[in-house]
Amino acid sequence: MPFFPNKNKIRILNYIPLLILFFISLNGNSIIDFNYFSINVHYILVYYWVLRNPKLLGYGFIFLSGVISDVIFGTPMGVTALSLLVVASVAAYVRVVTVRISLINDWISFLPALLLANFFYFIALYFSNLPIDYIYLIKNSFFTFTFYPILWSIFSLFLNFIKL
Amino acid sequence: METSRDDLGIAIRSAFLKKGTQQKFSLFALIIISVIFIFAESIKVKPIDYVRSAIRDLIYHSSQVISYPAKTIKGISNFVSNHIQVYDSYKVLKKENEYLKNNLLKNDYLEVENEQLKKLVDERLKTYENLVTARIMIDKQSLYLNSFIINAGSNKKIKKGMAVLDRKNFIGRIVDVNFFSSRVLLITDLNSKIPVIIEPSGDQAILSGHGNDPLSLDYLPKDQKIQDGNSVYTSGKEGLFSPGIPIGAVFNKSNQFYVSSFSDLNQVLFVNINIGETENK
Repeated sequence: MPFFPNKNKIRILNYIPLLILFFISLNGNSIIDFNYFSINVHYILVYYWVLRNPKLLGYGFIFLSGVISDVIFGTPMGVTALSLLVVASVAAYVRVVTVRISLINDWISFLPALLLANFFYFIALYFSNLPIDYIYLIKNSFFTFTFYPILWSIFSLFLNFIKL
Repeated sequence: METSRDDLGIAIRSAFLKKGTQQKFSLFALIIISVIFIFAESIKVKPIDYVRSAIRDLIYHSSQVISYPAKTIKGISNFVSNHIQVYDSYKVLKKENEYLKNNLLKNDYLEVENEQLKKLVDERLKTYENLVTARIMIDKQSLYLNSFIINAGSNKKIKKGMAVLDRKNFIGRIVDVNFFSSRVLLITDLNSKIPVIIEPSGDQAILSGHGNDPLSLDYLPKDQKIQDGNSVYTSGKEGLFSPGIPIGAVFNKSNQFYVSSFSDLNQVLFVNINIGETENK
């Protein structure tokens, strides 16, 4: 007899992406920043789950976590929410037009999502009179794109596990 | 051709406008709400400010609870590393103690002389009696802001622009006040420009923050006589802060003067906010 009844196990695990989403926004870890590189985990998380299983990550929650990130980091309320929704929009569009699931497809389509999101982020901050560190923004985008396959693999393993 | 355009239209409508399975909002509606939020930031109306303050307070306090385990782990790691370095620290402190003992008498003499001279010129002595102490709730640094969130707001009479001190050293100013919390913009932030005076040369300059890079001294006079180790204080120009609050020490690197802060901003747990000066004759 299994330790967990299957239905309950899946019901609890279904909330994990949502919990991670709110944990990273409230804990201020949406951008993991090391000395030489930084990764925007928020973008990858939203993109992957909206693309692969949107049932587990509601758009309303994505918006809310963006607002939380804005408050924590001191950026104008709505800026991160807007860029996350742009990422989610590209993911939703890619989901509609693609049939085959593969890392390469996901990875390539993540690039326009990232560029569009950063473009909106940049525009919103430009009108908010906040100084923009362009080098940091480019570095962050580059490493977020580079590290996408690693997080893709982790999330895919998890997704397969909850599908079992 | 027309068919492919139709397909694109259908795909876009399906992705943006339709509420997906178990989705309560459409992406398009939420994007519009985000844009409204961004524009609402620039509207300074009291009821909106109250709502904004309440939201911020709620999020800051939730964040404090969520980040408690991470803070505890960081605290334990600092505690362990401090213990490992205890012998090295002891040697440094012993040397420092000897040096300070040698200078003690000299300092006493200068202090007495300073007091006498102040009385002589009838200067109104300013004291920092109106200090409010606050704890740092969140110290997450963002891409664009080097700031702290502290657990004191308008409930403790804190206002925008007030100087924030670590013990007696200047580390930043208040830029955002809520009911029970405030945001402190640190001197290292890109937005931070503080009028300062360098002693003993008496040269005045603007101290600029550069994020992770050292603080720089801008707009120095051409005939400046600054040397390594000179102290930097707030000048009190423009009436922003009280004059004479210590900030850091000057160091020279490739013919450009930089300042290393007297306070280690990564180690600050409590801060003092100067909410107003009392003047004694």
